[in-house]
Amino acid sequence: MKRLFTIFALGMMALSTAAFASTTATNTNTVSPTLQISATIQSAVQLTLSTGTAAVTHCAVTPTGGTPDYTMSFGTVDALGINNGNCNKFAPTTPGTTNAIYWSDYNLNPVFTSQTVSTNTITAQVTTDFAAPNNIFIVRDSANSNTVPANAAAFTAVSTGTPDTIVTNAASGVAQTRFIGVAVTPANGAGVTGAKSATVTFTLTVQ
Amino acid sequence: MRVRHHENVRRTHLPVVKSGGKVCGASFGRLLLALIILVIVSMAFTKPAAAQQGTFTVSAAPGGITFSGAGTTHSGQFGTMNALGIGTPSAGVTVIPLSNGALYFTHYQITVTGLPNPHLAAVTAFVNSNFTHTAALIMESCPSSSSCNAAGNFSAISLLSAAPTTVVAAPGINDQTVTAGLAIFVPDNNGASAFTGIDAARITLTATDTTNNKNFATAEIRLDTPVGETVQTAVRLTLATAAGGLTITPGADFSMNFGNVNGLGFGPGPGLSTVAAAGGVVYSTPYVLQPAFTDFTSTIATIRTFVSTNFAHPTILILRDAAAGAGPYNNIGTTAGTATQITNAAASRSSITRFLGLFVSNANGATSFRGSDSAILTFTMTVP
Repeated sequence: MKRLFTIFALGMMALSTAAFASTTATNTNTVSPTLQISATIQSAVQLTLSTGTAAVTHCAVTPTGGTPDYTMSFGTVDALGINNGNCNKFAPTTPGTTNAIYWSDYNLNPVFTSQTVSTNTITAQVTTDFAAPNNIFIVRDSANSNTVPANAAAFTAVSTGTPDTIVTNAASGVAQTRFIGVAVTPANGAGVTGAKSATVTFTLTVQ
Repeated sequence: MRVRHHENVRRTHLPVVKSGGKVCGASFGRLLLALIILVIVSMAFTKPAAAQQGTFTVSAAPGGITFSGAGTTHSGQFGTMNALGIGTPSAGVTVIPLSNGALYFTHYQITVTGLPNPHLAAVTAFVNSNFTHTAALIMESCPSSSSCNAAGNFSAISLLSAAPTTVVAAPGINDQTVTAGLAIFVPDNNGASAFTGIDAARITLTATDTTNNKNFATAEIRLDTPVGETVQTAVRLTLATAAGGLTITPGADFSMNFGNVNGLGFGPGPGLSTVAAAGGVVYSTPYVLQPAFTDFTSTIATIRTFVSTNFAHPTILILRDAAAGAGPYNNIGTTAGTATQITNAAASRSSITRFLGLFVSNANGATSFRGSDSAILTFTMTVP
């Protein structure tokens, strides 16, 4: 009887399946390890600019990969609207009195994810203005729409103080067409000519 | 456990018996003379008694397998084994997993005493009765000159008595106990030669007086008691970090942390790349599957995976699988019944690089989520 029990016990040992961890097993043909995957989701916002497609001609929006993020050049401009500049222009209504406007369309591309709300705004502000004597300044379409401006009166100076809201509640991922330009005043005096640059900062806020 | 042979004494005594027959019937004086002559002749042709003696003992070593039996026969076993070296081996046996099998080894002791100075004894071994399944079990030996704790110390034992394997090298030992190693190599063995079950082998150890080159004792180790060697199938599936991929941390069982992610794919962490996807983005990483299995008639296995514990936010985070880094990435099944098949032709000990994608939704509003979440993938390898 004792011998029979011993044989039985050895037989059971030989037949038994042994699993030592989920990664290994003996006397069986399957094993099932597990992989735990963790991640922390963060909200994200993105605002990119690109060359417009609405106006007749377009000044290119060029990403630099550095600072500033993008550049746009209106080329050679003048207060009488003699030069064509790089894209569109409105000659002064009263030469020598009113401003010439050199302008272009451009696209704002807002994208945001994992936000608790979808309401948002995009603002624009001149954070670095043209140097004195300020005979040139940044303008935007007064309507804050994708409608192509009809004349020089359709433009408003971009604020150098409180940011101007130019887009409200844009859908994430949907490009918004707007218009930006430079107004050249007929001012005369020292420093009114030559290459000049300014910086506009666009801010997307989702809240 | 001991054996003592006196071959030379036995050989020189035989003429005495024959000579004894010739002196029957002689006178007492002649008988006495003959007896004296015989004694002198016997002394002249007989080597000193001490030179013909020697004791050769095989015994269990501390921490080694135990032997039973008496006389020259020592019986024991290595117990249950597998070619992946999985599990705890039997008492007295140590396992070393190797890249092509597993080496199960034990230590035993050899003692030689009683040889006349300066006689020494060497010891050799050969397999006198090999395993029936020679592709599944291979006897190996480690000489006493080695520590016998590493696979490299062992080599296959000769199957030929005429060319045995050295256990105690010449010139040998006397009045000394040394420790040697005995091992069974269980190689990877899938396909037609696969074997599971019980097998046994016997090894003959021979002690040789290296002064006169005479074998003066033998002993036999029988690895068949009480059962013998039991070979089992074994399966193993591990995950590992791929080159350039996210770190896989061994734990219970493995873990992988994608870190901070977002629906736009900004700033993927080290080891991650992003792939565009409708409604969000996929963070992707390569990883390595390392299947191993032994003693199956099949040489290939199937590996599947499914999400056994889903994210708390299963519409925001979704696990996807791809064969290539660029995709396409497909959702991994969320039940065992809908598990995603990674391969149906996994070869043993052949790593597979696969790509795991974490889809992150770009949803905003009430259904959006920010924070940590986790899921568990279960991989199942089955060898048919």
